[in-house]
Amino acid sequence: MGDLVDSMLDLMRRLPPTHVEENVASLVAMCPDYAEDLLGSVDQPLKVLTDRATGKEYLACDYNRDGDSYRSPWSNEYDPPLEDGTVPTPKLRKLEITANEAFDTYREMYYEGGVSSVFLWDLDDGGFAGVVLLKKTLTPQAPGEPSGSWDSIHVFEAAERGRQAHYKLTSTIMLQMIDRSASTRTSKEDSTVTKGGRIASSEKPEQDGAKRDGELTLSGSMTRQTEQDFPLQDQSSHITNIGRMIEEMEIKMRNLLQEVYFGKTRDVVFDLRSIDDLEKARRQRELQKELVGFIKR
Amino acid sequence: MDPAERIEAASKFLLQSPPGEINDVLNDVRNIISDDDSLQSGVLPALREYNITQFTTAEVPGHQHQSIVSSAARIPGAGEDEDGELSQDRYWDPRSRTSFRFDHLSLESSDPEPYEPDAESEPFRAALENASLQYLQAHYHDGVASVFPVAGSSTRFVIQIVANKYNPNNYWSGRWRSEYTIDTSTKTLEGRILVNVHYYEQGNVQLSTTHTVSLALPPAIAPSGGASAASKVLALVEAEEGKYQTSLNEAYAEMGEKTFKGLRRALPMTRSKLDWDRVLGYKLGAELTNSKGVFGQPS
Repeated sequence: MGDLVDSMLDLMRRLPPTHVEENVASLVAMCPDYAEDLLGSVDQPLKVLTDRATGKEYLACDYNRDGDSYRSPWSNEYDPPLEDGTVPTPKLRKLEITANEAFDTYREMYYEGGVSSVFLWDLDDGGFAGVVLLKKTLTPQAPGEPSGSWDSIHVFEAAERGRQAHYKLTSTIMLQMIDRSASTRTSKEDSTVTKGGRIASSEKPEQDGAKRDGELTLSGSMTRQTEQDFPLQDQSSHITNIGRMIEEMEIKMRNLLQEVYFGKTRDVVFDLRSIDDLEKARRQRELQKELVGFIKR
Repeated sequence: MDPAERIEAASKFLLQSPPGEINDVLNDVRNIISDDDSLQSGVLPALREYNITQFTTAEVPGHQHQSIVSSAARIPGAGEDEDGELSQDRYWDPRSRTSFRFDHLSLESSDPEPYEPDAESEPFRAALENASLQYLQAHYHDGVASVFPVAGSSTRFVIQIVANKYNPNNYWSGRWRSEYTIDTSTKTLEGRILVNVHYYEQGNVQLSTTHTVSLALPPAIAPSGGASAASKVLALVEAEEGKYQTSLNEAYAEMGEKTFKGLRRALPMTRSKLDWDRVLGYKLGAELTNSKGVFGQPS
């Protein structure tokens, strides 16, 4: 019944990203037999948890979950505690510690805040896989200020081939931005630009007693995949290789998100309604045509 | 989950459908429920609610224009009883004075009948309709507008506008809805604008906006004012929507400048990408000075 999972994934591709958690929960309740398939393929916003041992924040997702517990990358402990929770082999855990430190630096350089976590696990064929998670949330400083959140989920597989390593990377970025100023901005314009050119205070209530309210939400996720080979000197090369790949991917995807969020969705709005008078433009074009015809004669 | 809960969950999914994708969502839901009989009758209320709130457009039988199916378009007095499903799904188009049956699943209209509007409010309603259609021509690339009298009142009118663009080949769709209730006796205008955009090429990105406005009508606007009063109402609508669209542009710019940059920089402060060898080196150095080696130390 791969068919059913396809339908669930198609549904998740269409329903509002702002409701992904409750919609996934509904689907899981409707088709409990396919819960694992669904939870493994639909990215949900990352949860921020606090490591009890170190007090440091880390990120929780399906990859560091065992039952109802989540493993912290800092202490390697499960919360709520698990007697026999899955942990990486000592060799891989060592790499995981280094990776967490490296991506903590990466996070500080690009996000200037937020939380990062890296989790690694061994693969049956001798290679290993991992996930690099980054999350930043902006909470408004004052009412009316915009808010937003960014969640990066980079899942990769590494296969060593002598002094080379082959990497497969699947990256998903979830981005949400909310602005509450668009509706009240129109009110401000009313009072700031008066006919006489005087500038009135934007705090002044509107003369006509008009009331305006509203909200603009841009939300969603985009996923991209890439594969690449890198030379391998020692185990720590894996981190520099994956680091470069993820950095490259995030730069590419940030540009893509910018284009889609601020370009494409805006273009569609302007495809629906025009600020300029279309009828006037139509008349002008006809007049021009007539004029051209007149000159040619 | 019992069958009733499954239908309820399916109905919630349907109500969240992006513009122009209700059939895709319905297909997915059909596959997931895999019980066509209970689905078809079970989700009808959700489909009806979706069509009514989304200002679904209907072909008016025997006419060349489309009309909006909404709660304002419902035949007054019909459909109060639960079992009267047939009467519940009759709507009217004031422009052609036609009522018709609307099928919420197939979106087809049928069974047209002449429908007489309220004589007292009709002249000003018709004037508002004329002005609305002119306004639609001026600012919408492909829209539908309907103007309804509010049942039981001769001074209240509802102007509804909807514009859709569906482009599944390029994975996007959009819908603009606006609605204005004007009352010439209390001299008020209550309006709302709702915009939804879905972009889904290798992803799922949605724009969703809401805007509500309430303002006072100039004293000169009265039904007796006829065509000139009607164009004054639409001038207010034009000003409001124009300003709102301009401010959307500004909100976009501000989100790009503040929120987007605040979440993640394009490049670090150093204006160059990370030197990953040094990232590991720095860490190693820092750890060594703390005499807590990371590499080559047993864990």
